[in-house]
Amino acid sequence: MAHDKRPLSPDIQIYRPQLTSVLSISHRVTGIALSVGALLLVSWLLAAAAGPQAYSSVQGFMRSWLGLLLMFGWTFSLFFHLCNGIRHLVWDAGYGFELGTIYASGWTVVAASTALTVAAWFSSFVVMG
Amino acid sequence: MRSPLGRARGLGSAREGVEHWWMQRVTAAALIPLTLWFVASLIALTGSDYNAFIAWLKAPFVAILMVLLLIALFHHMALGLRVVVEDYVHSDRAKIPTVVAIRLVCFALAVVGIFATLRIAFDG
Amino acid sequence: MFIRSSDQLPSVTALKRFPVPRNFNVSTESRIERGKTWHAPAGATRVKKFEIYRYDPDSGQNPRIDTYEVDLDTCGPMVLDALITIKNEIDSTLTFRRSCREGVCGSCSMNIDGTNWLACTRFISDTAEPATIYPLNHLRVIKDLVPDLTQLFAQYSLIEPWLQTTTPEPEKERLQSPEDRGKVDGFYECILCFCCTSGCPSHWWNGDRFLGPAVLLQSYRWLVDSRDEAAGDRLDDLEDPFRLYRCHTILNCTRTCPKQLNPGKAIAAIKKMIVQRRS
Repeated sequence: MAHDKRPLSPDIQIYRPQLTSVLSISHRVTGIALSVGALLLVSWLLAAAAGPQAYSSVQGFMRSWLGLLLMFGWTFSLFFHLCNGIRHLVWDAGYGFELGTIYASGWTVVAASTALTVAAWFSSFVVMG
Repeated sequence: MRSPLGRARGLGSAREGVEHWWMQRVTAAALIPLTLWFVASLIALTGSDYNAFIAWLKAPFVAILMVLLLIALFHHMALGLRVVVEDYVHSDRAKIPTVVAIRLVCFALAVVGIFATLRIAFDG
Repeated sequence: MFIRSSDQLPSVTALKRFPVPRNFNVSTESRIERGKTWHAPAGATRVKKFEIYRYDPDSGQNPRIDTYEVDLDTCGPMVLDALITIKNEIDSTLTFRRSCREGVCGSCSMNIDGTNWLACTRFISDTAEPATIYPLNHLRVIKDLVPDLTQLFAQYSLIEPWLQTTTPEPEKERLQSPEDRGKVDGFYECILCFCCTSGCPSHWWNGDRFLGPAVLLQSYRWLVDSRDEAAGDRLDDLEDPFRLYRCHTILNCTRTCPKQLNPGKAIAAIKKMIVQRRS
């Protein structure tokens, strides 16, 4: 059929990234990253239940450079998904849909998640001594 | 060769979908205080050894919150991943088994996590 | 950085497009190739380049990007004026929809510099150099900048956009207080240009089943009309994991509406109504 041979106009290849779409896809990506983190959480609890040897091997991995990198990524994902999740809940209640508010709340989420990540890691170092 | 309206109407409205949407929001709301508690606890536990961790998790309050966190987390995760799969996977043959598998795996992981927590809480 | 209204242009461009290959995930017949360049006549002083998507269904070739150099002294201020100048003076095969030239009919909606807007209300001075013009996104292209909107209009007719009542017709008009009439403000003004729907990523991936912001805005317009008596049936038809719930509040729609309407808000209100009726 002639219709099927018609080309499809480009979409993601040419559409301009805006705060709206970028924060939305980030919410999804951080959600998926946290899902992987949940697996690690369960393996951590299981290792703790298994005994000190299993636990120390998991802790050893967490302290390696790869483990620390993953933890940093996980904490940022957590705070971003949390803050943007609250922004979503506010929308679901029906508030905050004016474009000015959408942009202001979006930038607030970016700033807050960065600040919370930095604060969490800083506090962690302080506790370690 | 369907008419455009026939194609748009498809198989009609499923007349459901709000339950999934609602539970996603309910688990999200529950996860706000639970994750904040969890992160704060992790920070407080930095650098502590195995015994300190077990002593922390044995406390009834902590064990209960951990179980609640696992339930809310895996339910929220299963619902969220289902939406992601439905968005990007369009063939029924791939989509339906994947969605079912995600649900079952999340349930199993939640059970494993709860078992581990209760194991520590009750004998440790 | 801080956008207050959809007609506000961004002051900073960090990324012009998502970091994917130019022909990412594109079928063979949709791959875009390099086209020709039409240079400005000699003696032209204010020259502006337009890179425009071209597709000729009779040639059997793939779509391409043609570059036109337009002398702005011979052309009106809007992007539509440039397209008309190109068609009149440079290349008469350029094809696009247009009618009112004042932003009320919705015909000339297209993707200009990466976002969807009406060509007749976009100033040339507000476009990039070169300005890039594509048809509305993720739609079958009939020719050049003319997309096939059949499916979008079919989705519109699916929601039955007319007054539905069981109460017999009154002798004169159905009465409506100013407050009730006010509830429809911000929704009846939609000109069905489909800038929002074609800019919605969820509609790109699931456009066969997801109704999209324009159609959902219109269904809200009828849900909230105090004279309509079929709200329950309308909500029954909307409550579907794909028809309504593919909306993930991405909000590209509100960002791009050339009439400053808010489809995101309307969709959130529909979701609230569905929760309300079961609590």
